[in-house]
Amino acid sequence: MSELWSWSAEELANAVRGRELSAAEVVGAAIERTQQVEPLLGAYLDRFEDEALERAADIDRRCAAGEDPGVLAGVPVALKDNLNLEGKPTTCGSKILEGYVSLYTATAVERLLDAGAVILGKTNLDEFAMGSSCENSAFHPTLNPWNRETVPGGSSGGSAAAVAGGSVPLALGSDTGGSIRQPAAFCGVVGLKPTYGRVSRYGLVAFASSLDQIGPVSRSTRDAALSLSVIAGADPRDATSSAEPVGDYLATLENGVEGLRAGIVEEVDTSSLEPGVKENWEQSLRTLQACGVEIERISLPHLPATIAVYYVIANSEASANLARFDGVRYGHRSEQAGGLMDLYLESREEGFGAEVKRRILLGTFALSSGYYDAYYGRARSVRTALRRQFQQALTEVDVILTPTCPSGAFGIGEKIDDPLSMYLSDIYTAPINLAGLPAVAVPSGLDSKGMPLSLQIVGRPFEEATVLRVARAFERENATSFCPPLGTVEGRGAAEAG
Amino acid sequence: MALSVDEVRRIAHLARLRLSAEEEEVFVPQLAQIIDYFDQLKEYGSEAEIPEEALCLEAEDSPGESMDRGAFLSNAPDAMDTFVLVPQVKVTGDE
Repeated sequence: MSELWSWSAEELANAVRGRELSAAEVVGAAIERTQQVEPLLGAYLDRFEDEALERAADIDRRCAAGEDPGVLAGVPVALKDNLNLEGKPTTCGSKILEGYVSLYTATAVERLLDAGAVILGKTNLDEFAMGSSCENSAFHPTLNPWNRETVPGGSSGGSAAAVAGGSVPLALGSDTGGSIRQPAAFCGVVGLKPTYGRVSRYGLVAFASSLDQIGPVSRSTRDAALSLSVIAGADPRDATSSAEPVGDYLATLENGVEGLRAGIVEEVDTSSLEPGVKENWEQSLRTLQACGVEIERISLPHLPATIAVYYVIANSEASANLARFDGVRYGHRSEQAGGLMDLYLESREEGFGAEVKRRILLGTFALSSGYYDAYYGRARSVRTALRRQFQQALTEVDVILTPTCPSGAFGIGEKIDDPLSMYLSDIYTAPINLAGLPAVAVPSGLDSKGMPLSLQIVGRPFEEATVLRVARAFERENATSFCPPLGTVEGRGAAEAG
Repeated sequence: MALSVDEVRRIAHLARLRLSAEEEEVFVPQLAQIIDYFDQLKEYGSEAEIPEEALCLEAEDSPGESMDRGAFLSNAPDAMDTFVLVPQVKVTGDE
């Protein structure tokens, strides 16, 4: 029997519900594994081992009493630390939330708990989810389990590293321009960004409200489907959550993809990809064709403007959303402040890191008098055109395929001083947030350096079942082990790297 | 576009950020480079906004419980009785 930490969420929950395993055994195994790998990865900002064991004992009592604790009974789960969990600090990877303790629990987290999940801890992220490498955390970087000289991606890098490293089978992340899919790609796991509105954002600290969406990171498409069925659905506390019925995403997952039409985008220049990435992309298409998928070419003429549109809109929304962190009601307050204006200026100067300041400045610039029409107004207009182009394309094909990222994981420190280069790593993921569509990143193999690569599958609004079905068919054909070589690697730990 | 130090300071003040001299030195060229990149948007024609569809549930207009005051104040950096305390609002030299 393989070690418990390597089991899927579905397998663990079934075993606990069937009383073949106790939740205490499952959670104990996750804690033991986490204690082994965490010094190597730095995936977490906070861990709740005692509470997790208490909750596991409670789940075991309920099972013994004949109750069914739910489809995630006893499953250890990690939460990105921009999701509120009552009674626990939420830092967003920032010093400005120093001392803040959540007074309520995010809806998506409540739904996990209602399904029997056990929260093991909160994971590292780029400050306020702004970044693609997890290097912008105010606390420490997270390292990629496949090669600890490289980044795990971001901003949900802690969640992806925790899942890839075997700490937990399932974690929640948030995705504003690729922050679930890109780290999932870099760490060789599955990352799902649902349709905008599919999962309630209540309790997620807002970065860019028209783009943010919560979703799962897992080691299999089955666990992505299972967890989406749990967290999706309307919520009166989030006016942008959708009343569209939630499917049983597992029920149709294995139905195959014969005759399904998939679009590849004229404007995605795959000829310029690194040789290993290009070959992997072409092989991925052949794999899907062998499954019965018909590949067609589609056009999204405004796609090349994506990064400009995305960073104007996301930063504009961020500059407004982050105005609330002012040292008055919660979080860090500067001791230098003489008056109220000083309090704002000093608290924000001391509390925010460089990338957050850069983005607030860019957003404020784009919204300021004299520049609004040329930047924010124009970006919204180009976004509208791009959305229409996606809508049109998705009348011609059932899904759209791209590589998830232009490369495998890059080196620690490689892009940190070149923000524009970092932004460009979101080139295939950010347009999907602008269009509000569902997309899944699924492992597609390894590059010449042995680092994971990933295929992105994009669908029509609320057709998560279709994108997951394609991902599952692809995953079945790529059934190689995606377990990173952790434990065989000696070297410095994450804390030392910081 | 050329972005001057004064322009960045003006934006920083609007954003309620006070930048150190070192930050200004790093940010001014970086922001100028990024805004130059944004300028490619001028090459794209404008199009009317699509009204946001369907995605706006209205909450029922009924009273509900709000956050417990004591719990809220427990997160405040400084509080007295039922109030959050802040420094003096108007100080000589402030705008």
